[in-house]
Amino acid sequence: MSFFHIVSVGFVVAIIAAAAWFLTPKGKDQVLIRSSVALALTCCYLMWAITYLAQLHPLIAPRRADLRFED
Amino acid sequence: MSSNYPSLFRSEEMSLVQLYIPSEVAHDTISELAEMGNFQFKDLNPTVTAFQRPFTPRLRRLAESSRRLRLFQSQIKSLAPPLGIPPLSAIPPFTTVGPRAQNAFDELEDKLREHERRLVDMNKSWEELGKRKSELEEKRWVLRETAGFFNEAEHRHTEIRTSFDDGDGTAPLLEHAAEYGTLPPEGGLSSFDLEFVSGTIERTRMPTFERILWRVLRGNLYMNYSEIEEPFIDPTSGKETHKDVFIIFAHGPELLAKIRKVAESMGGALYTIDSSQDKRADALRDVAARLEDVEAVLYNMGQTRRVELSKIAEGLESWKDAVRREEEIYKTLNLLSYDQGRKTLVAEGWCPTRDLTIVQLGLRRAMETAGTSVPAILSELRTHQTPPTFHRTTKFTVGFQTIIDAYGIATYQEVNPGLFAVITFPFLFAVMFGDIGHGFIMFLGGLAMVLFERQIEGKIDENLETFFFGRYIILLMGAFSTFTGFMYNDIFSKSLSIFSSGWEWPTNSTGQVSAISTGHVYPFGLDPVWNGSDNSLIFTNSYKMKMSIILGVIHMTFAICLQVPNHIHFRKPLNIYAEFIPQILFMHSIFGYLVVCVIYKWSVDWSQSSTPPPGLLNMLIYMFLSPGSIEPSTQLYAGQGFVQVVLLLVALVCVPWMLALKPYKLWKEHNAIKEQGYRGIGGVDHGNGHGHGNDDLEEEEEGAGQPVAEPMEEDHPFDMGDIIVHQVIHTIEFCLGCISNTASYLRLWALSLAHAQLSEVLYEMTLESAFLYEGSGVVATIFVFCMFAMWFFMTIAILITMEGLSAFLHALRLHWVEANGKHYMAGGYPFTPLSFAVIGEEADA
Repeated sequence: MSFFHIVSVGFVVAIIAAAAWFLTPKGKDQVLIRSSVALALTCCYLMWAITYLAQLHPLIAPRRADLRFED
Repeated sequence: MSSNYPSLFRSEEMSLVQLYIPSEVAHDTISELAEMGNFQFKDLNPTVTAFQRPFTPRLRRLAESSRRLRLFQSQIKSLAPPLGIPPLSAIPPFTTVGPRAQNAFDELEDKLREHERRLVDMNKSWEELGKRKSELEEKRWVLRETAGFFNEAEHRHTEIRTSFDDGDGTAPLLEHAAEYGTLPPEGGLSSFDLEFVSGTIERTRMPTFERILWRVLRGNLYMNYSEIEEPFIDPTSGKETHKDVFIIFAHGPELLAKIRKVAESMGGALYTIDSSQDKRADALRDVAARLEDVEAVLYNMGQTRRVELSKIAEGLESWKDAVRREEEIYKTLNLLSYDQGRKTLVAEGWCPTRDLTIVQLGLRRAMETAGTSVPAILSELRTHQTPPTFHRTTKFTVGFQTIIDAYGIATYQEVNPGLFAVITFPFLFAVMFGDIGHGFIMFLGGLAMVLFERQIEGKIDENLETFFFGRYIILLMGAFSTFTGFMYNDIFSKSLSIFSSGWEWPTNSTGQVSAISTGHVYPFGLDPVWNGSDNSLIFTNSYKMKMSIILGVIHMTFAICLQVPNHIHFRKPLNIYAEFIPQILFMHSIFGYLVVCVIYKWSVDWSQSSTPPPGLLNMLIYMFLSPGSIEPSTQLYAGQGFVQVVLLLVALVCVPWMLALKPYKLWKEHNAIKEQGYRGIGGVDHGNGHGHGNDDLEEEEEGAGQPVAEPMEEDHPFDMGDIIVHQVIHTIEFCLGCISNTASYLRLWALSLAHAQLSEVLYEMTLESAFLYEGSGVVATIFVFCMFAMWFFMTIAILITMEGLSAFLHALRLHWVEANGKHYMAGGYPFTPLSFAVIGEEADA
């Protein structure tokens, strides 16, 4: 279920990247814009996916000793 | 492979071009080419020394003119009420091209020479008059001050006449000058016809002067002095000197002569004055009158000099610009070779193939400006020489390209990592710098520099100029850092709770408590619950470490893959299956596998599993130490042992594959050529069949060398030893590099950990201590205010600037060593076209 999130977001990102790739107007900056958009999306997606995955099945739970309870 | 538009992916295609320029249009053609700035001239007479070149006399005259202009500029700048030099844009330009240009330059030269002569004359008489004036002033001071001494003496000599004892050399004369009075006993007491020397001397030399005189004359003198309050200003250097007036009484012409000599040797000026009061008064009046005259003349002369200089100032910038251009043109003309018979100059040089038509048009334009009907003729040459590397950068990409160029200039037409550094550089920086607050401040800084580009340009000092140059890099670094800040959920060491946390704290227990998972995952970034929890470091370290490895492996894989377009472009399929494929297999059978295991371990719910989660580091180590055998308690998945043995074998096979295949293939190819009988005639024949193997060889050998501009000598002997040694080094470097480079990416984790910890410590030491302060309201408010100022200042200075620089350096290293090392040959030399724009920038700097 949660793994599905990663795949689906990846899919959306891929669609955005593809759209940007084909919508980039012809011109002297076409190569630059295409590669930059694709790379930026890939980098950000990777970072997000790794962060998400790392918390998917946590091996340890956060602990703290300084909690105060308000009655 | 040429596309319609230039891109950063490969450097521009270049053509070696020959220009036949009729000598009457030569000057204007070069000028036009420099105006366009896309032609790099080659030196066609490298053996000729600078003195023997045809336009050297002309260049010398121009150098003389530019020296004059510099002289004028320095004189204008040192003028007392400053005189503005109108900028280049405000004055009509000086025409440097066209049929009249030559005359105009000769006229300009005459004009400058005339101006210089007049200015030098003026300066000389100005100096003389200035000296005269200061002499007169000194004399006036001497007259005034000594008058005081004489008066004093006249009043007192009657009272003290009996107390003189000239022989008493032990009396400290100088200290007791006032008591002893001023008169020697032998002189007629009433007539007051003393002998004395008077003059001025620099104040700093006064004590020495006194002491020397005292010794030389053995105390047989009486000296008096007083300070002149006003400093004297040297008319030429403008230096201030303080001087003292002195008057020395002594007896006998010998002593007086000695005093004079001593005073002169100490740089003092002597002025003769008369002892009678009337004559002194006359002299004073006379001096005052002469001083007035001199001052009037000086004032007039100053005005004329100012008018002269302001006349020069009007044209100065345009003349400077014209002379600078002219110098550049003649320097270039010196590079051309002259065809005596046809009266043409022959130029050779590199030009982007894309710009050839523009150059053609430029040549026609130059012909029109020169007013002749014969244009320069352009012909493209076929060549074996390596062309220069030229990337067309914009103000956005130039910073990133500079980062790559600092490592090495790309080989002609090779894949340029600068295109990808535009994103990967700021991203890797941001992984180390992740903090929403710091990132956003950096982003704003970059944005401000980008938006106020026009206003800032050229108006900041040199240190900030560097930051300004990298403004787009800073902008992107800031933007990505904000994003990674969201991922790390860090804003000035605190966290944001945008979504509901995936953890809940139990409400009934005290002491050390563990949070309870609610079953859902924090959707964007790190769960805020980790911030401030006791074991947050354990979690974030594991997460960031693994992320570093994953990003590193992906980045390196990307870099290795960039070899492929190169091999295809340079038509070397051998390199693909003898280098690229084994490299990528080697890398991924070890580290790619590790990444897959990391992701697999994350995606398995270990609380449901029968085995405990295995340590991946140990798994990797035992994959080498005991291949095939996996302890059941540390098994990650079924069939793990078999998979690891296969991967290990693949990695092992890759090593001899990388090592041996390429040399063997090259050797076979070479033998095939030899058998076809091409051997021995290579020096004569530069035909098709012969080149291939050798070209490969050349490429390998000269990977990092200078391109040699010797076109037709390419008969490299085939040296098997060289190839083998090179391949061995290459293989070892890659295999060891794989391991050390992967480990090197751990700096992403280390730096981001350091950054987060530093910002937390800073917050605790400053702001938090202020918030916890329990005192009266006013004191607490002031305390918080001060601490906030301190916290903010240190955030900017340490966390953003210094940490930013450190993260920048590490990102730089990751690009240069870890990524570029995998594919970037960097054996090119830069395209340096003749361009007036570049020259102007250099001159202003």
